[in-house]
Amino acid sequence: MKKALMLFTFGVLAAVACQKNPVPEPPAKDASLKGEEVSVKEFPADIKKVFVLNEGQMGANNATLDFLRRSDGQYITGAFKKMNPSAAAGLGDVGNDIAIHGDEVWMVINNSGLVEVVSAADETEIAVVEIPTPRNVAFDDKYAYVTSWAGAFATYGPDYTVTDSANPKGCVYRVDLSTKKLAGSVEVGYQPEGIAYYGGKLYVANSGGISSQLPPLYAYDNTVSVIDTKTFAVTQTVEVQVNLKNVYADGKGHIFVTTLGNYFDVHSGLYVFPANAPDQVTRVERDFLKHTHVSCSFALGEEVYCIGTENEFAFNEKHVYTLWSYNAVKNKLNLYPVDLGGVPYGMAVLEDDMEIRTLLVGDAGDYFNPGTVSCYRLYDAQDKVWRVTAGVCPGHFAVWK
Amino acid sequence: MILAAVIALFLQAPPDTLAPAAVYAVKELLVVRATEAVRADSLVSAPMGVADILRSFTGVQVKDYGGAGGLKTVNVRSLGSEHVGIFLDGIQVDNAQNMQVDLGRFSTDGLGQVLLYNGQKTSRLQTAKEYAAGASVHLESALPTVSGGEVRLRGGTLGTVNPSVRWDQRLSRWLMLRTSADFLYSAGRYQYPCFDTTLVRENGDIRSLRLEAQLFGRVRGGQWQARVYGYGSERGFPGPVIRRLSFPFSAERQADQDLFVQGGWTQEWTARYSTALRFKYANNYTHYNTHPEKNPMALPYNLHYRQQAGYLSLAQSVVLAGPWSVDVSADVQRNALDSDVGQFVTPRRTTLTGVLATRLVWSRFRAAAHLVYQGAWDSFRTPSAGGWSRSNTYRDSWMPSLSLFWAPLPWLEADAFVKRTYRLPSFNDLYYSLMGNASLEPEAALQVGVDLRASLRPGAWQLELRASPYYNRVSNKIVAIPTLSQFRWTMLNIGLVDITGADIKASASWHRGPWRVGGTLRYTFQQALDHSEPGSQTWGNQIPYIPRHSGSVVLEAGWRDLSFSWDSSFTGARWSRTANTPDYYLAPWSLSSAALQYAFHFRERGVAGRPGAPSAGRALLLGVTIDNVFNTPYQVVQGYPMPGFNAQFSVSFRW
Repeated sequence: MKKALMLFTFGVLAAVACQKNPVPEPPAKDASLKGEEVSVKEFPADIKKVFVLNEGQMGANNATLDFLRRSDGQYITGAFKKMNPSAAAGLGDVGNDIAIHGDEVWMVINNSGLVEVVSAADETEIAVVEIPTPRNVAFDDKYAYVTSWAGAFATYGPDYTVTDSANPKGCVYRVDLSTKKLAGSVEVGYQPEGIAYYGGKLYVANSGGISSQLPPLYAYDNTVSVIDTKTFAVTQTVEVQVNLKNVYADGKGHIFVTTLGNYFDVHSGLYVFPANAPDQVTRVERDFLKHTHVSCSFALGEEVYCIGTENEFAFNEKHVYTLWSYNAVKNKLNLYPVDLGGVPYGMAVLEDDMEIRTLLVGDAGDYFNPGTVSCYRLYDAQDKVWRVTAGVCPGHFAVWK
Repeated sequence: MILAAVIALFLQAPPDTLAPAAVYAVKELLVVRATEAVRADSLVSAPMGVADILRSFTGVQVKDYGGAGGLKTVNVRSLGSEHVGIFLDGIQVDNAQNMQVDLGRFSTDGLGQVLLYNGQKTSRLQTAKEYAAGASVHLESALPTVSGGEVRLRGGTLGTVNPSVRWDQRLSRWLMLRTSADFLYSAGRYQYPCFDTTLVRENGDIRSLRLEAQLFGRVRGGQWQARVYGYGSERGFPGPVIRRLSFPFSAERQADQDLFVQGGWTQEWTARYSTALRFKYANNYTHYNTHPEKNPMALPYNLHYRQQAGYLSLAQSVVLAGPWSVDVSADVQRNALDSDVGQFVTPRRTTLTGVLATRLVWSRFRAAAHLVYQGAWDSFRTPSAGGWSRSNTYRDSWMPSLSLFWAPLPWLEADAFVKRTYRLPSFNDLYYSLMGNASLEPEAALQVGVDLRASLRPGAWQLELRASPYYNRVSNKIVAIPTLSQFRWTMLNIGLVDITGADIKASASWHRGPWRVGGTLRYTFQQALDHSEPGSQTWGNQIPYIPRHSGSVVLEAGWRDLSFSWDSSFTGARWSRTANTPDYYLAPWSLSSAALQYAFHFRERGVAGRPGAPSAGRALLLGVTIDNVFNTPYQVVQGYPMPGFNAQFSVSFRW
């Protein structure tokens, strides 16, 4: 969920584009799709759709795309299959990331080894790009960049030759935005996850999630790889903390990294460093707070929102989840007294120009059967507004304006 | 094919005069009949494995991932495969790591009987673990009585070659030696429909070699046997069928080396008192490699596991007075699992199982009751500040059972049983979260069942009808629940499943002169409902992969040494999730197979050739089996297509 960048950069671009072209659009082909109706009256007016990528269960080929339409409040499940009936295999296996670039929705389908690009207007397929074990995607104005767990490749060849199969490092693949063709790759750290673009550089979070279990390393990675997009080479490696997850840029010179910790003595958390001084890494925490742990996160503008639980090493206890957010420009940490039930698996925050915020939380339930998406208002009562049934493991959100 | 098994049953003449080895057998004093029983040693177009025999049994589901190398596990009456004990000559074949015993690894060579007990097997001198299993499948060796042997070659259209040899040698009046070997190669390539196209299954090949030696000895008033078993295999896992463009589904390979030594000595000390001593040592080594150099989609896993088990059991049986006998058995087992997985918890388990069993056996009325106590000490490595320490947990349970048998009329029998069993958490259940869950309790199964059986023999006909309604409840079901992220799961005792079902079986056969005709109809109803969490979207839904309706029809015909059989089975609608929604609906399917066989008997002086029986004169047997006659595409497990039309041939020579 490196949506910070894409939301910030391209949300703005899309808004600008809309203002320039006030001609009414023809009705979308998916207008006839109906689902469960929910209340969207508090949603910001400039939003067209909120997309939800359901991961599905690995091996079950049941990743699905849902969307919530702002115009009539319809929550529609399985939209990709419905709008692409000729795609017999569906969306694929394990949807790991979703991001919007202009009027395109990019979905990273991890265990199908591809990135699916569809039209945001009607979910019809635009292109498919094959990339081995892709994880997350970010954009600059020419390319999409996709992190991949697949082995280190000197060059991207048709045979995907791995140089070190004992414990291959991952890499970042570059995809030309106009042709949707691969345009090179660069090796980064072990099992790279989140990626964000800011100021001519890419920031890649290396998790080492597989290396931690395997010889010869038996250790998590703890670095962010900084890639110069002009040379497409790693220029710097920043040590943060073990098991990195997501990266966000706030557009104001701050890079955020979330970590999962090692599950027994290093807690999860949020780290921040200035883009112009990457060695100045600080952990976001406050004396007055019990914890600043991160189970899932979402970036919106300058703000990074996190949901975490205090007793995260107590695996057999019930967890109480807390929503908090951090703004590095204001150096301000906010707590939200919202009562979240279940197991939050993915989230999104919407904000209108009156700073009225709405929280969407994906709950994976038992991770086997379809989960739910819940909507909470983050003002006044801070209570739950509605809940709908989504697909299996609703983990990733993207907002199309 | 099972058909062949049924035919073989058919062909059986009344038993020969008591075989020498059976003379010293302790009287079994069975209270309840086996639910299903098949004599496997007399098969000609024999199944590749035990799974093919169990498939047709009522109330049994064989979960099959397809191909000769695909995992095959057995689930009885929706209890879950962890509750089904597989016993080889009375000694459990177990797997402490995941409690999944792969039936694909058991050959039918040298096997005497395959028995299924839904209720409780109640013979004397059983191991305590035989009492502790929810349902049980018993694989019993055929006891060799004379020198002889068999060479066999099987093969077929799936690129399968399976030569085997068995040699029984009489070493002395007191000792028989059986050695056997078989080799299996299967290319595992078959066409299947993949979304809107047709593909060929890749990376499903297997090669395996089994070498076995068994000694069968007799002593005054007793008998003993010892077995050394070695099995090596190397196979590919073809992986689930999912959306992929040019990348292969899988390049995963696994190599196994299994070695075990087991034995038992049964002794009748007096007419009233007998004992059985049994032991086992097993060492299973597995190497699993995802081969990322061959598949860019593979996560780079290259792992080694070694599982060891040591087992000792003593059973004693005393006939107290007339029909009343009492058994006391105690088993001790030690399991260990080692691996080079990072932060591996190296689990160790010592299990002590004891049972007190009693039975009353009259000819028309019989009763059996037992109480099992099982305690397990687990020791795990736990990450702690500044290193690792070992922590211990102890789990125990009491498992009672009662079985009754009544034959009100000569042609009518009824039995009933109630039984509560627990299965321990597997090592996977415990260490999945790396931390171990000390509070995880054993999973409980309560079973209540009634069995009514009528058998009639009007004229040349033989008719049998069986109806068995039952109710099962699996509670404290161990379920994996994620905590913080998809990387972190915990196992909790939160599952509850209520199963109401009935098995019905009707068979008829007719025999006159050289002609034989017969048929068997089986039907199973199973309503297995999730009752874990009231108010949840899955409450009251059918649990995954259990069809409400399933059944089969088997028809056989024979004339002299020629036999033919036809088998059609039906599996009703299922769901792959507890959410019984259209997205997860699995359509019903039916499947047919046919088998034809011919036996040339070479009669010898003084030895009456008994068709289909081992070591009873020389015979050349030819067989052909057609599976999936109508080339029906189907999947037992979603994402794992099964082979279409295929033919298997077999030639064997017995002497």
